[in-house]
Amino acid sequence: MEKIILLIPSIPIIIAFMLIFVKNKELIPKISIILSSMIALLGLYGTYYVIHYDEAIIGFDGLLIYNELSAILVPYVAILGLVIRKYATKYMWDEAGYRRFFILLNFIFSAIYLLVMSNNLIVLALAWQLLSISLYLLVSFNVSSNTAVRHARWIMVIHKGADLVFMFAVILTYQTFGSFDLAILSEKWLAMSQSSIDNPMIFVIGLLYLIAAMMKSAIMPFHIWLPYTSEAPTPVSAVMHAGVVNVGGILLNKMAYLLLLTPAVLNIAFVVGLFTAIVASIIMLVVSDIKRSLGYSTVGQMGYMIMEIGLGAFSLAIYHLIVHGIFKATLFLESGALIRLARHESNLPRRLSYELFWEEKLKSKGTKLFNYIAFFTILPVIIFIGVKMVLAEEFFEFNASVVILAFAWLTGTQLFLSFFKVSKSETIKVVFALVSSFIIILFTYEFIGLALEHFLYNENALLFYQAATLNMTLIAALIILAVLMAVGWLFMYNQHFVEMPTNNNEINKKQWVFYRFVAKEGYFFELFKIFKKDKR
Amino acid sequence: MILDIALLLLAAGVPYYLLLEKSTKFNSRHIFLFSSTLLLCAVLLSLFIPNEHKTVLVLISLVSAIFSIYKATKTTNFYKFGYYLIFVNAPFFILFEEEGALYSLSLLIALLGIYLIARFYEKNYGSANYHHITGITLVTPCVGTYLTLYLVALALYPPFPNSIFFLSYIFGSEPNLLWYIVVTTLFFGNFFLAMRVMRKTLFGRESSSIHYVHMTLKEKITHFLVVLTLLILSIYGLKETLL
Repeated sequence: MEKIILLIPSIPIIIAFMLIFVKNKELIPKISIILSSMIALLGLYGTYYVIHYDEAIIGFDGLLIYNELSAILVPYVAILGLVIRKYATKYMWDEAGYRRFFILLNFIFSAIYLLVMSNNLIVLALAWQLLSISLYLLVSFNVSSNTAVRHARWIMVIHKGADLVFMFAVILTYQTFGSFDLAILSEKWLAMSQSSIDNPMIFVIGLLYLIAAMMKSAIMPFHIWLPYTSEAPTPVSAVMHAGVVNVGGILLNKMAYLLLLTPAVLNIAFVVGLFTAIVASIIMLVVSDIKRSLGYSTVGQMGYMIMEIGLGAFSLAIYHLIVHGIFKATLFLESGALIRLARHESNLPRRLSYELFWEEKLKSKGTKLFNYIAFFTILPVIIFIGVKMVLAEEFFEFNASVVILAFAWLTGTQLFLSFFKVSKSETIKVVFALVSSFIIILFTYEFIGLALEHFLYNENALLFYQAATLNMTLIAALIILAVLMAVGWLFMYNQHFVEMPTNNNEINKKQWVFYRFVAKEGYFFELFKIFKKDKR
Repeated sequence: MILDIALLLLAAGVPYYLLLEKSTKFNSRHIFLFSSTLLLCAVLLSLFIPNEHKTVLVLISLVSAIFSIYKATKTTNFYKFGYYLIFVNAPFFILFEEEGALYSLSLLIALLGIYLIARFYEKNYGSANYHHITGITLVTPCVGTYLTLYLVALALYPPFPNSIFFLSYIFGSEPNLLWYIVVTTLFFGNFFLAMRVMRKTLFGRESSSIHYVHMTLKEKITHFLVVLTLLILSIYGLKETLL
C-alpha cells in the first residue's frame, strides 16, 4: 500500500498529459491544483510512514526510494508547488500560453520529485537533465522577449555543462564502485570510511559531483544564470529561487557518504561557498536593480549552503535550503500584492513587520524594547552554551560550530535590518539589537538543525564533521569568525543605516572605486562585450 | 576492413554531402532522404555484421562531425539541418558498434519529425527555410509544440530515446580519451544546433509579413504518431537501461 507513494514523480506528468486535452481554460489550474494536492497528501503520508515505522519505502526494483531525505523534501516541494500553482492561476491568466505554462510547471516539479526520490544514478541523471530542459522552456516562456530568450540561453549552457560533468561523475562512480544503486553505494562508502583510503579517483569523482552541484546551484563562477533571469514570470522565479537552485544541495546530500572519503572536496566546497557567500552578498547590497539584487541574494545563500556542506553540516544545508526557499518564494509571490497596494497608496506600501516597529514607536519605547530583547535572548543563550558544553562538548571540536555561528550572525542581521530603520546616532542600540537577533536565529537554527541531523544521519552525522574539519583550533576559528563578523557589521552599518547629515561632502576615492567595481559585478559583462566586439 | 569502411560511409562518417550539394540533380531534400536511407541501411547492417570500431574510423567520423557542426551553424534550412545532424552523430554509431543502432534509429525518427515540419514549411511558406518564420510557439502552438519536442529529443534531453540510449551506452562503456572527446562533442554539438533552431523559429516576435498557417488534423495525427513512436522507444530504452 505504501508503495503508492513512489508514484509521486509520475503524477505531475499525468497532470501535464491531461492538460493537453482540456479545452476549458478554467479547468487547467483546477485540475493541476487538485491533483497536486494529492501529491502533498501522499508526501505527508510518506513522511508519517518513514517516521512511524523508521524504514524507507523502496520500489521499482530499487530505482526509487522514499527515505528520510525525501520525507523532508517531498512535502516541502509539494506544498510549495501547490502555492505556486494557486498563485499562477490568476497571475498568468492573461498571458499567452496559459496551458503551456502549467504543463511545463508540472514537468519541472516531476523532475524535482524524481531527483529527490531517486535511488539510482541513472534515474538521477535523467531527472537532472529533465530539470534543465524544463527550466529552459519555463524561463523563456515569454518567447517574444529577446532578453528573456537570451538569458534563458545562459541558463541552458551552464546547466548543460552541469549535465555533462554529472554524467562523467556517474560513469566514474560506476567504474570505481561497480554499482548505480545509491543505497548500496552509500553502505559501501560508509564501510570504506572506517579505513584509510588512498585512491585519487575518489577525489576526482567527488570534485565532479561538487562542480555539477555548483553549476546548478549558481555558485561562483557559475552564478551568472541566476541574477539575470528575473524576466521570467514571477511564479517561475519562485520555482527557480526556492526549488531549482536547491538541487545542488540535494545532490551533495545524496553523495554525503562519498564525500566522507574525500575531505579535500569538502574543504574546497567550504572555500568556494565562503567566497560566493561574501562576494554575492556584497554585490547584492550595491547593485541598483532590485531583481538582480534578489538574484545575488540567492547566490549568496547558496554559497552558505555549500559552505555548510563543506563543514560537514549536511543536514543544516537541507534546513537552510528549505528556510531560504520559503523566504524567497514568499518574497517573489508577495510582489504582486505589493504592486497592487502601491497603486492605491501614494507612498510605498509598508510591510507589517515595519509597521510593528514603526519609527515613532521606536523613539519612545526603543530602549525598553531593546532591554527586553536582550533580557530574553542573552540570558538563555548563556544557559544554552553552558548546557551544550556539558551535554555535547564534541560539537565545539568541529569547525561546523563556527559556520552555525556565522550563519546565525548573517541571518540575524538580515532579520534585524528588515525590522528596524536606525540612525547612526544610535550605535549602542544597533549593536545590541544585532546581537539579540543573532541569538534568536542561533537558537532556532541550532535546535532544528540538530533535530534534522538526528533524523537524517543519526550517529553518522559526527563523521561528516570529523571529515570536514580543517584542523583548526576552536580559538583560531572563533577569532576568524569574530574578525569576519566585525568587518561585516561595519560594512552593513555603513551601507544600510541612515546617514546623519555632515558638512563633509568629499568622496572617498578608494571607496568609490571599490563600490563601482562591485556594482558593475567585477566588470564581467564589460569584458564579455569587449571580447564579442573583437570577435566581430 | 572493407565492411568497416562501407559502414563508415553508410553511417555518414564522411561528409559526402559536399559532393551532393554541388550536384544540380540533388537538392537538400534529396540529400536528407538519401543520407537517412543510408543510415537506416547501416543500422540494419550492423545487426548482422560484427562491427569492430577502428580508432582511425572514429577519428575520421569525428572530424567529419565537427565540420558538420560548423556547416549546420550556417544554415537556416530544415532539410540541411536534418542531414547535417546525421553526420554529426556518426561517430557515436561508429564508436558504440551495434549498440549505437538504437540510438541512430531514435535519431532517424526524431529527424522524420523534422522532415515533416520541413515539408509543412515548404508547403505553407514556400520553402523549408525558417529564417523569417519567427515566434511560432505563440502563433501556431501545435507546430511549435511538435517542433519543440523534436528539438528537445535531438538536443539529447529525456524523456526521449536519443538521450536514454546515449546515457545507456556511455554508462556501460570503458572511457578513454577519444571516448571523452566524442561524447563531449556530440553532447554539446547536438545541443547547440537544436537550441539554435529553437531560438530562431520557435522563439521571437511574430513576423507581420508572414501569414501563419495551422496544422491540419491529418498532419497533427502524423506528428502524434511520430512522437508516440519516440515515446515507445523511450519506454523500451528505460526498460533496457534500468531493469
